Amino acid sequence: MAVASASTAAALPSLHYASRSLPHRTLRLLPSIPYTSHSTVTRLSSRRLPNRYSSPSSPSSFSVKAAAASASKKSVLIVNTNSGGHAVIGFYFAQELLGSGHEVTVLTVGDEGSDKMKKPPFTRFSELVSSGGKTLWGDPAEVGDIVGKNKFDVVLDNNGKDLDTVKPVADWAKSAGVEQFLYISSAGIYKTSDEIPHVEGDLVKEDASHVAVEKYIAGLSFGSWAVFRPQYMIGSGNNKDCEEWFFDRIVRNRPVPLPGSGMQLTNISHVRDLSSMLSLAVENSDAANGKIFNCVSDRAVTFDGLAKLCAQAAGRELKIIHYDPKAVGIDAKKAFPFRNMHFYAEPRAAKQILGWTSTTNLPEDLKERYDEYVKIGRDKKEMKFDIDDKILESLKVAVTV
Amino acid sequence: MTIHTRKAVDTAVSYPSQKYVRQRTREASGLEPPPTTLTTTRAHLDRNANALGAPMARLVAAQPRQASPWASPRSSLLPSSLSEFHGATLGASLQKKRRVWQPKGSLQVTASSAKKILIMGGTRFIGVFLSRLLVQEGHQVTLFTRGKAPITQQLPGESDQDYADFKSKILHLKGDRKDFEFVKTSLAAEGFDVVYDINGREATEVEPILDALPKLEQFIYCSSAGVYLKSDMLPHFEIDAVDPKSRHKGKLETESLLDSRGVNWTSLRPVYIYGPLNYNPVEEWFFHRLKAGRPIPVPNSGVQITQLGHVKDLARAFITVLGNSKASKQVYNISGSKYVTFDGLAKACAKAGGFPEPEIVHYNPKEFDFGKKKAFPFRDQHFFASVEKAERELGWTPEYGLVDGLADSYNLDFGRGTFRKAADFSTDDVILGKSLVLQS
Repeated sequence: MAVASASTAAALPSLHYASRSLPHRTLRLLPSIPYTSHSTVTRLSSRRLPNRYSSPSSPSSFSVKAAAASASKKSVLIVNTNSGGHAVIGFYFAQELLGSGHEVTVLTVGDEGSDKMKKPPFTRFSELVSSGGKTLWGDPAEVGDIVGKNKFDVVLDNNGKDLDTVKPVADWAKSAGVEQFLYISSAGIYKTSDEIPHVEGDLVKEDASHVAVEKYIAGLSFGSWAVFRPQYMIGSGNNKDCEEWFFDRIVRNRPVPLPGSGMQLTNISHVRDLSSMLSLAVENSDAANGKIFNCVSDRAVTFDGLAKLCAQAAGRELKIIHYDPKAVGIDAKKAFPFRNMHFYAEPRAAKQILGWTSTTNLPEDLKERYDEYVKIGRDKKEMKFDIDDKILESLKVAVTV
Repeated sequence: MTIHTRKAVDTAVSYPSQKYVRQRTREASGLEPPPTTLTTTRAHLDRNANALGAPMARLVAAQPRQASPWASPRSSLLPSSLSEFHGATLGASLQKKRRVWQPKGSLQVTASSAKKILIMGGTRFIGVFLSRLLVQEGHQVTLFTRGKAPITQQLPGESDQDYADFKSKILHLKGDRKDFEFVKTSLAAEGFDVVYDINGREATEVEPILDALPKLEQFIYCSSAGVYLKSDMLPHFEIDAVDPKSRHKGKLETESLLDSRGVNWTSLRPVYIYGPLNYNPVEEWFFHRLKAGRPIPVPNSGVQITQLGHVKDLARAFITVLGNSKASKQVYNISGSKYVTFDGLAKACAKAGGFPEPEIVHYNPKEFDFGKKKAFPFRDQHFFASVEKAERELGWTPEYGLVDGLADSYNLDFGRGTFRKAADFSTDDVILGKSLVLQS
């Protein structure tokens, strides 16, 4: 950082770096990596000093105020789903908390011996244990019995989609004197609109089951409560396919069929973005109290764009086919892993209130994911593409590229 | 060298002491009645009206500026950010000396943050609103234009009194900014504290300004989000790669020049600007079709996402960076808080103007050759930028939502029967004559 000019009063920051008088933060990786393969682009900013531009969400002084006593060690209970896209959130959150010195217990739904536990992230739960975490299994409705006399400061419900499932946990937490209750909801509850993105405070679908849960939690008068609305995530340990869907086709030289125009926006976050947001909420429980947070990265990507990034990560050719699901007669939900529409929320509340920053870097993150994809041998796995074939047949497209 | 006179538009001195208070209050739901006057939220320094704003009757712009020993130094009445800014740029040993313009015979000495400001342009759209805000703030504002458009025009909804006050205070410097010699000489003769460059396109146009004003406190530039390199990942943030080959490369080169010259500069990058008096047919394009009851032809799927920013919000952003040390050598995206699809924009325009929901016809632009004509006012791609840097660092936030902003434009402009470009449905007719329903 430049030294403040000597002629000014001592308190004044240097003019050049007036807004740089911030604690050092991990800079986003993004600025140094062009997003496109336009290799001849001369970045104007290459002439400028790298810290001239703040990372898009470097916190300003007003937004990050650690709550009193927030730096102290906390005892956190994570009630975790045993399957689905959200399963991995609890795993990363637990790891991050343990890394920060907090006490963590993860209560996973169901039986430890069930088949579901043979999939990631559960296959990696030993890592939590060796970091000092506790892992339990059972029915969340009986959470009180399961955890017994253990006291918790914070409870995260990363399981229930409806009130029937979450109410027992929330009620128990309230009666057990839990100070902070956090809930993983879904950005899918936002009402669709021509105006993008979904921003905290926008209208939600009143009949969505998560909405009833959010309202119930809000009404329980916890010392602090917060709701997190995620979209799609990638990251090692994920339980549900995301980028794999693209890799499966790309490594086999199959065309990638995308519904509609391919211009639909979605938000693909690395799960570490979600866990870092949750951690900030734990450490700033006063600031986070009563707030809704879109639990997503701060960039949208189109379907076409994501396909391209996956192909780039794999170092392979890409052939995209656009199709109309109705015309082909298939259910887009079965044919494609993302909602067939613009579905894009922005994490404005987390940035403003928690001073959170996104570190998702799709080009790099997808490269890592591809490396793992190959490492586990999935590129060699026998696979059928029945729905794809149906689409391609109806469009009369040859399979080999 | 030709001597151009700088004259006040209206030499009468007026002494209003109004305060402007924003009357709009936001309601959580739905549309609120659009404001009918240009108002501002900025608290105004309480000052005697005959300070600064009162123009000299005639001035021959040949005398070089001189530091005047009797002019008041920066006063402690300045907001602290301003003091910081001046302290940091100039050093404690060199206090800013300025000539305070006073009406003849007056003994007023004004110690205030009022500045001598030059706006390049200012008579068509952004500057019309910006200049008013600056004059209301008590600054002395000069517009540099060729004089093709009237120097001032009364805005729809603006009271006679307000307009008269503004008209009496605004100054005009007539010239062609492409005449670099003239720009340099006339500006050097006048001396300005701050330059707002609203209509500059090329770096060469800015050089003479910088040459003429070595003590310039701040150069505030209206750039464009069009400089960003097209990307699959959006929104654009200020750190993103820019495209040195874009149509807007002149803006980029200007930003580069400013940076290399060591001047204190700030650059704002708007996306699509809209609002009353817009001369780029953005909302007007939709309004013409809605009024004619015609279908709206939208290229391809209609899900392309764009972003509109209200001109009054942009003008406020320009005010917010004035004398703001945080804004030094920074670029800021300035636009609306949310983005919108093409289809959604057509519907929003209808809603804003009280029209029924329009019929939208999608077409494949590749199937047509429109020659030089534009069949649709927006670039056929996603194009939007995040304004959170400005919100976070400047405390600025866009006040107009899309529908109420469009309503403001409609009520003050198109809805009153005024527009810049006459309706031209020729490309529409080509499309509608041969329309293809595309998968959406």
